Amino acid sequence: MTTKPEERHAQLELCIPYVFGRLNPGNRKQFEAHLSSGCEQCIRELSGLYEATALLPLLLRQEAPPSGLRQRILSRASSRKTEPQRSERPSAQREGPVTPTIRPERPWYRYAAAVMGVLLVIALAIFVYELAGTAANQEKKITELQSKLQLNDQALAVLGARKLEYVPLAGVEPGSVFHGKILWDSSSWNAVLQITGLPAAADGKCYQLWMLKEKKYIALTQFDMDNTQAGILKTLTIPEGEKGAIEGFTVTLEPKSGSAEPSGSIFLRGAK
Amino acid sequence: MQRNVLAQRQQTDREDADLLKRIQRSDQRALGSLYDRYAGVLYPFTLRVTGSHDAAEEVLHDVLVHVWEKSSTYAPQHGSVYAWLVALSRAKAVEKMRAANQKRKQESESGGQRPASTADAKQPGTETIVALKGYTEEVRNSLKSLSKLELRLLELSYYEGQSQSDLARMLRIPLGTIKAKMRRGIQKLRQTSTEEAK
Repeated sequence: MTTKPEERHAQLELCIPYVFGRLNPGNRKQFEAHLSSGCEQCIRELSGLYEATALLPLLLRQEAPPSGLRQRILSRASSRKTEPQRSERPSAQREGPVTPTIRPERPWYRYAAAVMGVLLVIALAIFVYELAGTAANQEKKITELQSKLQLNDQALAVLGARKLEYVPLAGVEPGSVFHGKILWDSSSWNAVLQITGLPAAADGKCYQLWMLKEKKYIALTQFDMDNTQAGILKTLTIPEGEKGAIEGFTVTLEPKSGSAEPSGSIFLRGAK
Repeated sequence: MQRNVLAQRQQTDREDADLLKRIQRSDQRALGSLYDRYAGVLYPFTLRVTGSHDAAEEVLHDVLVHVWEKSSTYAPQHGSVYAWLVALSRAKAVEKMRAANQKRKQESESGGQRPASTADAKQPGTETIVALKGYTEEVRNSLKSLSKLELRLLELSYYEGQSQSDLARMLRIPLGTIKAKMRRGIQKLRQTSTEEAK
């Protein structure tokens, strides 16, 4: 900092009115610009003043806030993410020149989401490259890609959730090659279903996913398989009225129109 | 100040800094811990400034949400995490109080909310914040060196956002005296807060 001594002194005089909120907007802006330029003397002075004034509330008689407030704050926090570390130059009011930046440790699923994103881009590039034929075919493929992209976006949103829950699904027959998993965000209750190995359902039939809750089966979604090795990926939302303690999931073969209760053979099952 | 109390305060500051780091990693339990530590002192503080239970609750809510969403704005010039929380609370509470006063003024002189338990709030109680237990008592003892006028001026200026000119008019005390008394009061506050460094 190359400020002249007399100027530095003048700025120091502004520390108290700044802490007490008594600077007019012009002076405040100027003072904050001075702080952001890195005057250690003023930063030390401000720090000392904030510490000093923070003693005043200790003189008040303590009183517990309303009982629901804590939960309200935490609920709000769970619905909103913490701000990512900023790379842009911060405003003077908010940060001084030596602001400590603490690099957040990213949870594994964020890396997984990032990797999935990259794979998705590569897959899209290959798809786009291979697009050929008539305009109608291209349009059809583009529509399919858009659907896949939308599906992947939805899946990524679930995988990126802070509170992710997971139940593996396995074939009920010994030696079964069917397997899958269901993952859901316990905040939004959006879920991703992934199944591999099931054969395509017979004509007039489809697979149906059930959620087991309080010993009762709740129909979640229907799907079919396309006999490819890749299996299927499907997004769904657990209905509003059914949120709560989930005991497990089951996949059965049902009539194409769907069933109110499981009536066909069980193919996959997973318990929480 | 007693060595064990100071050590406890330093330990608290370290723990708070750790909680802030965890909050930056989206750890909600850390936010809950910070709330548990300081809600008991921040709530009466925001109540004292706003004069309304609803407004005080709203301010405390906004402050903790701000910490959650913008914890990276914490900077050394804000002092300790606790001092930062107090400064945030004050800024938001004063803003709310001024907005409410403006609204009340526009509506009419009647029907305004009476400042909530101002007289009660000024009396030191026997409760202590868990995180600052011991230190709080030390501070209260240390601040007995403040004269009644010095403390009153600091309170009016800090809690109610009164300017020195307003205070001079309101208390019918020369502006020069107000300035000198406030400066002295702040000096004593600073001595108390920096004793641990000695």
